Amino acid sequence: MSLIVSRCMGRMLCRQTLDVPRIFVEEHCLTRQSPWSNTVLTLHTSAPLRAEPKKKKKVDPKREHVARERLKKRLKKMEKVPPELIPIEDFITPTKCLDEARGRSEPRLPFEESERRALLLKEWSRFKHAQHTAEMEAINLALDAQREALEELKIESEELYKAAIKPDPLVFPFSHEGPCYTPPKPKYDAPDGKYHDITKVYTQ
Amino acid sequence: MSAPVVKMAGRCFYQLYKLSNSAGRLASGKTGIRQFSGAVVQNAAEPWRLLGAACVQRLAVISVDQRPLEAKFSELMNQMELERSLMSDHELSLLDDKERLRRRQAVDYDSDEEEEADRDQDIVLTQDLEDAWEQRLKGFATQPRARGVVDARLERADRCLAEPLLLLTQQEVGPERLWLLPQTPWEAGETLKTTAQRALSATPGLDLQTVFLGNAPCGLYKYRMPRSVRDREGLTGVKVFFFKAVVSGPLPPPAPSSLWVRQSELKDYLKPSYLEKIRPFLLNL
Repeated sequence: MSLIVSRCMGRMLCRQTLDVPRIFVEEHCLTRQSPWSNTVLTLHTSAPLRAEPKKKKKVDPKREHVARERLKKRLKKMEKVPPELIPIEDFITPTKCLDEARGRSEPRLPFEESERRALLLKEWSRFKHAQHTAEMEAINLALDAQREALEELKIESEELYKAAIKPDPLVFPFSHEGPCYTPPKPKYDAPDGKYHDITKVYTQ
Repeated sequence: MSAPVVKMAGRCFYQLYKLSNSAGRLASGKTGIRQFSGAVVQNAAEPWRLLGAACVQRLAVISVDQRPLEAKFSELMNQMELERSLMSDHELSLLDDKERLRRRQAVDYDSDEEEEADRDQDIVLTQDLEDAWEQRLKGFATQPRARGVVDARLERADRCLAEPLLLLTQQEVGPERLWLLPQTPWEAGETLKTTAQRALSATPGLDLQTVFLGNAPCGLYKYRMPRSVRDREGLTGVKVFFFKAVVSGPLPPPAPSSLWVRQSELKDYLKPSYLEKIRPFLLNL
């Protein structure tokens, strides 16, 4: 019983004085600052009694590992720089354009010329407005014609009507070559153009 | 308890009676009635013949000539853009060359004053470059835009490249031969779009690749039969449904009894009432 008590006391002592080297514990040095020192040491615990099998503190390597990882993480965070934003080429005015020498001399327009321009612009806006109204009207007429046709079809047959309003998956993607200035040359072999691609490629 | 049951029974019988009546009418129907996968065409007592027609357009290949107003405006726009722009490298080099020539031809020209680089340079003036480029452009021959001889032949698909053309075929309608959009009667078991495609492929000698724009008809033309026909065949009238298509792929060679016609020439070939119904969906596109 006393052996157990002494062992417990010894353990508590050891825990309290972790920082102190073991050699002091075995020598019962009075210079120790532990609060238990006066009472426990009088128990006359000998070295063999106090000797315990060295505990392989499983927590220790794990703690070391965890501490190392924490340090590494802190290092990484410090090294991490926010990625540099890729500049938008279109928003940067090239310095060539700011060169004064490139400016043209301001032409002094005579009164007739400025009048002619103003009147031409107004005539153009009238023409374009008329064109737009005509287009809108034409589209509405076409839509009316289609609606009428679909109504008549519905009266005739429900099945045909349902087949007509089903979307056609084969129409899209739809492509058509638009009008050019001159007709295409038959059997014309366009020559390959030479070019140097100088687009800047950014990586992050 | 029995009274409402009797009423319900009575109602059921009445409905059955109505159904059997209509079925009876169907059974005794005449040639105009069609079945489509089990469904019944309405108005079985007054049938209309359905026809599918294809409105095939060859779209414009070259751009239209500018109107005078458009030409004036585009010129004005170019002028204004030039005035508000900066000089390009090419223009600056032109000015430099002019300056250099002026200096060389000056009375007190001292070649030692000239910079090293400029002196040793072979004079390849920017003006010479411009002349060389212009010569190269002149050496390239383009196809002519206006071809009067071809434009006059109506059966050619490559006439009037600046305007969209419509395909017309000659067909027998009743006692007469008329110029119409290719059409054919609808048969049971097919959609009207398939009828229109069949009408196109049935045109003799026409070898065409088209894209039909959707499943829905774009227009309708209907007319009633004269009384004699109505009484004889039991057919009230005819409904023609038009489907729009666009020529894709190479232009076809001329085919007999088919014409490619501009919008302005349509009135010479089509009946006024027919043309009036077609015009809305042509859209000049």
